Amino acid sequence: MSPRHFARINKIDPDELKMLKKRIDIAMAVIIFSTALLVTRLWYLQIYRGDEYIKLAEKNRIRIQEVAAPRGNLLDRTGAPIITSRPSFNVVWNREDAPNPDAVLKDLASILKEDISVLLDKIRAAAENPRFMLIRLKEDIDWDTLTTIENKHLSLPGVRIEVVPSRDYLYGDFASHLIGYIGEISPTELKANRYNKYQSGDQIGKQGIEKIFDKYLMGEKGRTYLEVDVHGFQQRQMQTQEPFPGNDLHLTLDIELQRAAEEAMGDKAGAVVVMEVNTGNLLVMCSTPLLPLQEFVGGIKTPVWNKLLHDPLNPLLNKTIQGQYPPGSVFKIVTALAAISEGVINQDTTFFCSGFINFGNRRFGCWKKGGHGTVNFHRALVESCDVYFYSVGQRLGIDNIAKYANSLGLGKKTGIELEHDKGGLIPSTAWKRQRYKDKWHEGETLSVAIGQGYVSTTPLQLCRMTAAVVNGGTLYRPQMVHKITTPDGRILKSFSPVSEGKIIGSEHSLALIREALVGVVHEPGGTAKVVRLPDVFIGGKTGTAQVVRLAQNEGLGEQAIPYKYRDHAWFTSFAPADKPEIAVTVLVEHGQHGGSAAGPVAKAVYKRYFELKSGKKTAPEEATSPVVPEEKEE
Amino acid sequence: MLRFDRRLLLNFDLVLLGAVLVVALIGLANLYSSTHLYTNVGVPLYFKELTYYLMGAAIILLIISCDYRVLLTLNYPLYALMILLLLFALVFGKNISGAQRWINLGFFRLQPSEPAKLILVITLASYYYRKDTGRGFGLLDLAIPALLTGLPFILIAKQPDLGTGLLLVFVFASMTIFVKLQRTTLATILCGGLAFIPIGWKFFLKPYQRQRVETFLNPENDPLGTGYHIIQSKIAVGSGRIIGKGYLQGTQGQLDFLPERHTDFAFSVWAEEWGFLGSFTLIICYFFMILWGLNIAISARDKFGVLLAFGVVSLIFWQAFINLAMVMGLLPVVGVPLPLFSYGGSSLLTNLAGLGILMNIRMRRFMGTS
Repeated sequence: MSPRHFARINKIDPDELKMLKKRIDIAMAVIIFSTALLVTRLWYLQIYRGDEYIKLAEKNRIRIQEVAAPRGNLLDRTGAPIITSRPSFNVVWNREDAPNPDAVLKDLASILKEDISVLLDKIRAAAENPRFMLIRLKEDIDWDTLTTIENKHLSLPGVRIEVVPSRDYLYGDFASHLIGYIGEISPTELKANRYNKYQSGDQIGKQGIEKIFDKYLMGEKGRTYLEVDVHGFQQRQMQTQEPFPGNDLHLTLDIELQRAAEEAMGDKAGAVVVMEVNTGNLLVMCSTPLLPLQEFVGGIKTPVWNKLLHDPLNPLLNKTIQGQYPPGSVFKIVTALAAISEGVINQDTTFFCSGFINFGNRRFGCWKKGGHGTVNFHRALVESCDVYFYSVGQRLGIDNIAKYANSLGLGKKTGIELEHDKGGLIPSTAWKRQRYKDKWHEGETLSVAIGQGYVSTTPLQLCRMTAAVVNGGTLYRPQMVHKITTPDGRILKSFSPVSEGKIIGSEHSLALIREALVGVVHEPGGTAKVVRLPDVFIGGKTGTAQVVRLAQNEGLGEQAIPYKYRDHAWFTSFAPADKPEIAVTVLVEHGQHGGSAAGPVAKAVYKRYFELKSGKKTAPEEATSPVVPEEKEE
Repeated sequence: MLRFDRRLLLNFDLVLLGAVLVVALIGLANLYSSTHLYTNVGVPLYFKELTYYLMGAAIILLIISCDYRVLLTLNYPLYALMILLLLFALVFGKNISGAQRWINLGFFRLQPSEPAKLILVITLASYYYRKDTGRGFGLLDLAIPALLTGLPFILIAKQPDLGTGLLLVFVFASMTIFVKLQRTTLATILCGGLAFIPIGWKFFLKPYQRQRVETFLNPENDPLGTGYHIIQSKIAVGSGRIIGKGYLQGTQGQLDFLPERHTDFAFSVWAEEWGFLGSFTLIICYFFMILWGLNIAISARDKFGVLLAFGVVSLIFWQAFINLAMVMGLLPVVGVPLPLFSYGGSSLLTNLAGLGILMNIRMRRFMGTS
């Protein structure tokens, strides 16, 4: 490369240089424009939309692990725990620290006494989840299994123990219909608005109080924030927020009384409701057979469900609010109140009972075949004379009866804060016209007057009615929670008695009825003498509700009638007679006699109630008196 | 034959050297951040890049020690060598993720399409220098330079590496327009080019390339597939906000959400960790380097120097612009590295050689010509 070779190159001539400079200027303009474009874009991404992008970046890297909060406790009216939370131990699998999964899982399977395929299936089912997510292999292991795993944990890499709160039922299936149960939230529930704070896998109240008061009981979940990389591997733990326990629910329920009722019911199907007459607070809400809560833990199995569904004793039904039965003679309280208040009779009005009455071309019998003879108002209620009330009903007419029944809270929902509360039925001429497009027949009034025919009521309705009759005429809304407190004891919400208005009917008539109801228990000829207690006066009314009237059952011995055709037994009552505190209503399905089947249950509840009140310890069970055959009442 | 001239040293371009050093240091620090968590790579990548820088320094020394006009005689041998290497890469090259781009030299994996960019600049500068009449080029006059560009373009597009191929076309267009085209020619080419776009879309682009463009136009259509790169890169850049998350603290980069973070998306790592302030500074460094390059071009002592310097500047400019626009979601994802910043020996040595040529031209601006 000689210098001569280069010498041929000449300097650029000034004209061309000018032209080139012009084009360089254009190039410079292009560069300035491009740079401005890039800087604008940078500004747009980093400053204008930076906050959005930081959120997206955080969403990329942060995973939240949730820790369930202990659910709030359920306490009875004295503050004694009914259901609490306890820690339960689950075996979980962490894929990230399991270098040799096959051998470990084999060991683990033998400790858990499970087939290894069960464990592998659970791991496979979670294959799509991010790697840092723990896989639950077995829930609620017992103490021995827990200690075995803890002792061997060095040789079980990848296996961890997770502690989660779980429900502890101190009294088993106690009040199970009222309290309900909890379970994993279902996909349909997840979509519902009220569950928008929940996530798949969460435990929620499925029935009863657990469901209705779920938002108070659930507490606040704890959260652990984890940083993960693009493959889902955990990098570090960032911050932890401890779970906050749920609030405690103070029920109006009384553990002792509820247990007394459940024991007294034994294996009979039916319901017991106890209400404080001056507040509407429920001390007992018992429906038997009890709901077998254990079957519902972790989702009920289909065969078990079907068995419960087809059980003739209807264990799935909360009979206190869902069971609708004809009230039978208990309804005479309504007819009596209407009759005296409306003035169609007075306390001295008498009717002659020959054992039956003819109306139209039908004969209406009294339960006492031989007849009661001449009875006045008081005797008619004490001895539950049907013929007396047929005649009274005839004078009143159906719509008058319906008016008083409605005022006593019958034929409509009670307003209790529970699902599936049924309203029962009180017929009237308007109802008949609307329902059957037919006019009301006078004869039907006679059946209604003694609580048969179209009439149906729930045990809770009759208990509330009884309370209203004896408390001076106030209809209270039934309540089962009296306050909600936070874990540190602060009162979050308290519930005071809610009046739903005064019942119609004169003071005078209420006094007459109360007097007669005490006679039912304490006077000769009363239908509920079996309920008598030594030092307390009790008032009440028995009832026998016909399930069917079949000619083929006429004349059959009681035990020969098939179970499902036997009559229901009612007893509704209050005590003490002079200054009523509680109303007790008992229904025994197919129990046949109000006095003998339902009465003793009420007696057991009163006995316990007054024992507790006088501070006496549980007295040893007195020898059961021999059953005296009673007059059959209808 | 090399005569030492004291004026050469006095006129050495310290400004350009300074700018290169600043970008190099930032680039190396950023490379450490993006690769320090890599495992199974043997020698750490930032260490390898540092060696390439030292090799690049040697190449710069070699280049500035001889007069750039020597390239007027070397241009065709270099061009022939380039074509051979590209052919070799196509036939015997190492296939990495579906592309035949690399020639394994044992100690170094050469990507011949990188030096091809610079050799094309030299070739076109020489050609235009010889043929320029000052009247402007007509359509027919462009046949030879178009052929000179078309041959490597086809060989590179076939690898397939459309990004680099298009870069050659951009450099060719910039230099040709700079030399001067007749008005009618310019108009014809523009119309022809526009007409070619739909035809090229249909017949020349491979399905994956078409998909990339479609993804660019609407990345959210396929957030986990082909749109992933653009989305994650925008998140990385945007989440840096004003002052950034801090060195080594970028979550998108450190936790692997950002793909190709040490090569094509190196700027995203920087933008995430240093925010608008750091990114703006870096862009201004490039801006300054390029403007300084234009200054070198216009102050060159002869027209070959002007053309050569302009070619090198256009090469650096287009690479930087396409890469930055791509990582910020303004252009589809095409594999164009950010000069001096993206990891890769072939690219770094090529760009350093180009900058060496600029220094060479700058040093000799006062040298006698007659």
